[in-house]
Amino acid sequence: MKRKIEHPAPSARELAGPKYWRTLGELAETPGFKSRLEREFPDGASTLDGVDRRQFMKIMAASFALGGAGLAGCRRPEANILPFGKSVEGVIPGLPLYYATAYPLRRTAIPLLAETHQGRPTKLEGNPRYEPLGGATSLTAQASLLDLYDPDRAVAHTANGSTLDDAAVKDRLAGIGRAYAGSGGAGLAFLAETSSSPTRARLVKALRGRFPKAVWAEYEPVADEPPVAAAQAALGAAVKPLYRFAKAKRIVSLDCDFLSAEAGSMYYARSFAKGRRVTSRDDEMNRLYVAESNLTLTGSMADHRLRLASSHMLAFAAALAARVTGDRIYDGLAQGLNVPPAWIAECAADLAANKGSSLVVAGAHLPAAVHAVAHAINAALGNVGQTVEFVDAAPSGAASLADLAGAIRGGAVKTLVILGGNPAYNAPADLGWANLQKSVGEVVRFGYYVDETSQLAQVQVAAAHYLESWGDARTLDGTVVPIQPMILPLFGGLTEIEVLARITGEGESDPYKLVYATVTGLAGGDAARAFQRFLHDGLLAGSAYPVQPVDIDRSGLSRLVGQTAPLPQLSRSNLEVRFVADHKMDDGRYANNGWLQECPDPITKLAWDNAILISPRLAKELGIEPQGSMGPQVARKDEQDFEKGIEMAHVLELTLGGRKIVAPSHIQVGLSDYTVVLPLGYGRAVTGRIGSGVGFDAYPLRSADAMHVASGGVLSLTGERRKMADTQWHWSMEGREIVREANFEEYKRNPTFVKEIGMEAETSVYNMSGFVAPDEPAAPLKVLSTEVPRGNSLYEHPKFTGPQQWGMSIDLNTCIGCNACVVACQAENNIPIVGRDQVIRGRSMHWIRIDRYYSDGKAAAGAFGGPGNLELPEDPQISLQPVNCMQCELAPCEMVCPVNATVHDDEGINAMAYNRCVGTRYCANNCPYKVRRFNYFDWNLHQIGHLYEGPLGPSGLPELVQMVKNPQVTLRMRGVMEKCTYCIQRIENGKIQWKVKMAQAGTPAEVVVPDGHIKTACQQVCPVEAIVFGDILDEQSAVSRAKARDQDYSLLAYLNTRPRTTYLARLRNPNPKMPDAQKVPFSRMEHTVKSGEKEDS
Amino acid sequence: MSNIFPKSVNRLPLQIVIYLFVVGGMATAAVTYYMTPKYTRVGYAPVQPVPFSHALHAGQLGIDCRYCHSNVEVSGHSNIPTAQTCMNCHDQIKTTSPLLAVVRKSYETNQPVPWVWIHKTPDYVYFNHAIHIARGVSCVECHGRIDQMDVVHEEKSLAMGFCLDCHRDPAAHLRPRDEVTNLAWKAPSPAAQRAMGEKFVHDWKVNPPQSCTGCHR
Repeated sequence: MKRKIEHPAPSARELAGPKYWRTLGELAETPGFKSRLEREFPDGASTLDGVDRRQFMKIMAASFALGGAGLAGCRRPEANILPFGKSVEGVIPGLPLYYATAYPLRRTAIPLLAETHQGRPTKLEGNPRYEPLGGATSLTAQASLLDLYDPDRAVAHTANGSTLDDAAVKDRLAGIGRAYAGSGGAGLAFLAETSSSPTRARLVKALRGRFPKAVWAEYEPVADEPPVAAAQAALGAAVKPLYRFAKAKRIVSLDCDFLSAEAGSMYYARSFAKGRRVTSRDDEMNRLYVAESNLTLTGSMADHRLRLASSHMLAFAAALAARVTGDRIYDGLAQGLNVPPAWIAECAADLAANKGSSLVVAGAHLPAAVHAVAHAINAALGNVGQTVEFVDAAPSGAASLADLAGAIRGGAVKTLVILGGNPAYNAPADLGWANLQKSVGEVVRFGYYVDETSQLAQVQVAAAHYLESWGDARTLDGTVVPIQPMILPLFGGLTEIEVLARITGEGESDPYKLVYATVTGLAGGDAARAFQRFLHDGLLAGSAYPVQPVDIDRSGLSRLVGQTAPLPQLSRSNLEVRFVADHKMDDGRYANNGWLQECPDPITKLAWDNAILISPRLAKELGIEPQGSMGPQVARKDEQDFEKGIEMAHVLELTLGGRKIVAPSHIQVGLSDYTVVLPLGYGRAVTGRIGSGVGFDAYPLRSADAMHVASGGVLSLTGERRKMADTQWHWSMEGREIVREANFEEYKRNPTFVKEIGMEAETSVYNMSGFVAPDEPAAPLKVLSTEVPRGNSLYEHPKFTGPQQWGMSIDLNTCIGCNACVVACQAENNIPIVGRDQVIRGRSMHWIRIDRYYSDGKAAAGAFGGPGNLELPEDPQISLQPVNCMQCELAPCEMVCPVNATVHDDEGINAMAYNRCVGTRYCANNCPYKVRRFNYFDWNLHQIGHLYEGPLGPSGLPELVQMVKNPQVTLRMRGVMEKCTYCIQRIENGKIQWKVKMAQAGTPAEVVVPDGHIKTACQQVCPVEAIVFGDILDEQSAVSRAKARDQDYSLLAYLNTRPRTTYLARLRNPNPKMPDAQKVPFSRMEHTVKSGEKEDS
Repeated sequence: MSNIFPKSVNRLPLQIVIYLFVVGGMATAAVTYYMTPKYTRVGYAPVQPVPFSHALHAGQLGIDCRYCHSNVEVSGHSNIPTAQTCMNCHDQIKTTSPLLAVVRKSYETNQPVPWVWIHKTPDYVYFNHAIHIARGVSCVECHGRIDQMDVVHEEKSLAMGFCLDCHRDPAAHLRPRDEVTNLAWKAPSPAAQRAMGEKFVHDWKVNPPQSCTGCHR
């Protein structure tokens, strides 16, 4: 249970001491500071360009002088140990504490366990007690920790530019309530984000009871849940669907990115993986049909993927429904659809053959009619109650943003309270929100950042981070979870429920007591015990939404699908424009989060930028993709497009409904021909130092009637180019056997197919104790790693004598490429961000990356004697592969290190001794997997804009930023190589804790840590359990069982590096009757052509 | 023409060589002596804000190490006691001693007493107290006879070589687990220590890491 600890008020010394962040607000007002801010990430500029050789010599001379002067202090500096004055219960210096809390986002939440070191949260893990997620977390949940320590967040309450203290702001909030108490709230309006919090719902009810005439509006710029209106029409009840993908053998996605963009994507990814995972040839494997306009992560997992404009999705759904149900009411809608009839017919037949175990899902951004049709198909297939269940989704009764805008326009709003959100940035452009907001007499803004909306408000109330607040939330299935503070508000921020309670002015306003009242009310029984249990478990058992029986309401359905409109004829001059929530920035709320900015988009691989995504065909029509390129590789279509491997994007102008934006483009394969995709969330005008000047803002093109899909867009060239921070320049495996794939049918016929692909299958490879023929049986892993000598190297190799030998297995069949592991690793291992300019130079520091390859089966590239891929593929297959350090038993990096900085330990880990490293970078050169990262700068000492200034630049990061660092991991300095360590700190601490426990229990000889006790950060976060880590000596461990599977292979095994990380080959499950079915995956075709093999089929 | 150089010059090359050897040797000896923790750290005894005497508390009064350093068996970091721990006794005895004013103030204001860190390993070393205690390594092995020190000083170098001496030969240093905080305890004879140590190494499967990852992360 989390106790409330009353921290003492800051001492006079603290208040007078250095104020790193307290003064940022004031500093920001001065012009000098502003210009520094603007210089932080100048567009595409590198600071070295402005430094000539002479200046460089000067800087170097100065740094030598400083270095000399610094030598005077040879003695170690005096350090202090500062114990508490009064002991704090539960706090043990050196050991982290874990508290249950939750990460709220819109109408859902992810239950968490927050790791705190002496009251300082440093890492978030999923709460394993919450069964549906089993301890997994999402990309944004991982990164949300960094926002807590963001020096650019709102650091003070302000009114008209002057700071308000805590009492003044609370008084001001209460004053609003008092002022409108008499009039019943006439003239008062609220604009909030959607929320799942039961306490907020209770307070809003009280608020509306007290101020019946006030306007309560809610607005979210992105849609992530199916509209309730669809269920209302088709099923006659206000319900929302919850999908059970694990039970579904056949899945059809109608433009639905259920693996990453939907509110329930964490749940869905996890249960989808359950149906996807194949551990033996007797297993079943689900089949995924996807029709989509954008290339999403869901599309990359598809067995059959149909490129189709979002505006044609209703017609497609209707055609599918007509086939499945045989009902005539859909005929009108399906008119004019240009999709191969066989595609729909075979897909429908496959669904019909799996009644009760199939599932049709529709994207949240699609109109209600599509969802209604999807519900109808599911009902007709008998899926309701099996693969889809419906739960209560009572409408909140809130007004829409448009209603609120109408009220403001009518002069009915005197005081507007904006709770979170950022309407001045993300409201539909045709509302003219900025002017509306300015026309209101008094605007009170409650927000985490000083942003576009704050600038147009008189009062800014600083919000607390969720890790600083008491609150509650409901997960997707309705389970109530606590939001517990890990730390007192760093800047005295308030929580949303406190603001509401203070305005209402009745009863309690302490957020802890508010949550206590709500939760104990819901739990019943002994209140104190129930609440303690709630906080301990991190959830309220049995509070999930009850499942509602539903039946199709045919009249409502036919009303909804009866309204037919002609399909838009899309072309170059009538483009469909899609607005999508960015994978990382969401709707823009994470714009100032460095971890997310630096994390590459899983599909485009762009970091620190968004782009107008256009299809290869459209690019060709625009003339920016010349035919017949000379480049030998698929990616480098044109030398100009990839200057020294850096993507030089064409800057385009996009016009839509009389409004235009100018932005760089990115040719994205797999897009519907005439759909352009605009990721939202970038181009923030007013934000912190990280998010300023990054990407372009797509909101100005958005209108209220076409929030997600619009048509009528026109693109034109500006002739300009822009460098893009593209982290993966080559798009294909070029016929190599890096990701190994097979169709499910082939796997069942030949379970060891994976051993037959690749160089080691064709030639004798120097392996184990000598040259071993391909057909010779390989020694078991256990024998291999401990008994078989590792080559005849001159170097003495350590014997693997440790009681446990660590290994990892990555299942490519379930990996969805969500990037959560990338950021989890970053948080755990203190990996710095390097900024856009350095990413362009290829210096990003991520220890685990996710490679994304395209293949279209069109033979090898020119370099291998084939004609070369002259065209970009339009319908590629996508392969995703996480790559971290393989921990090779015969590590090529170790052989070239002149100072023994990288050596093996006795448990098989390729260790990196930072202190020995002198930075020759030979190891990185010699690593065939390219997983070593070099510290070109003191990322932890210098701010990103001042890297090239060396000792002349400002030194040290704000104290606030330092607080996020994991004390269990060394911060690496300039000139040092680093790489994945298998989270060695977790292994060592796990071993120590186990041995201590056993010694205290009187069984000190039990030194082997049981399987599952030690988890790497990437493994722990993975929503699909694709990463398994453990002891390979224990034959029963999860990792040994994974490695014993038929699909197990090593990356570049023919180099005889004997990696400890191995992969499980990917399987695809196409329907052989489908018109686009492939006998073997495209990448295999390319591989066979390249290696001159005959296709076996 | 007389010789310019006297005959003794013939010995000069040899003298130069000898001279270089001597100077080089002295320089090497000086560096290895003066620039290693053995010289720079051993004997470090800074003035503490409170003149706390381990010789009095641990030695004469016989308070167990773990009364104050209460988390040493579970945590990697051996905690310095809070002022509250001191006040457990000192609100009964020596309640007005001016030497304890700092402690009383800390207890009242909750501001920490700024103890000076003596046994400090570099930041990239992750020494863990708990596992050493659990495996029968006594406090005295690294800290010396703290129970005889009025002012605590660093007794051992705590350099990597010092750690490895023990990690390579744990049998010479292990003792029964219940004697870990008994700093005066000694095996009856070196041979007995060896026999007992080897038994512990075997029975407890003691396998101290000698590779980088054991301590550096």
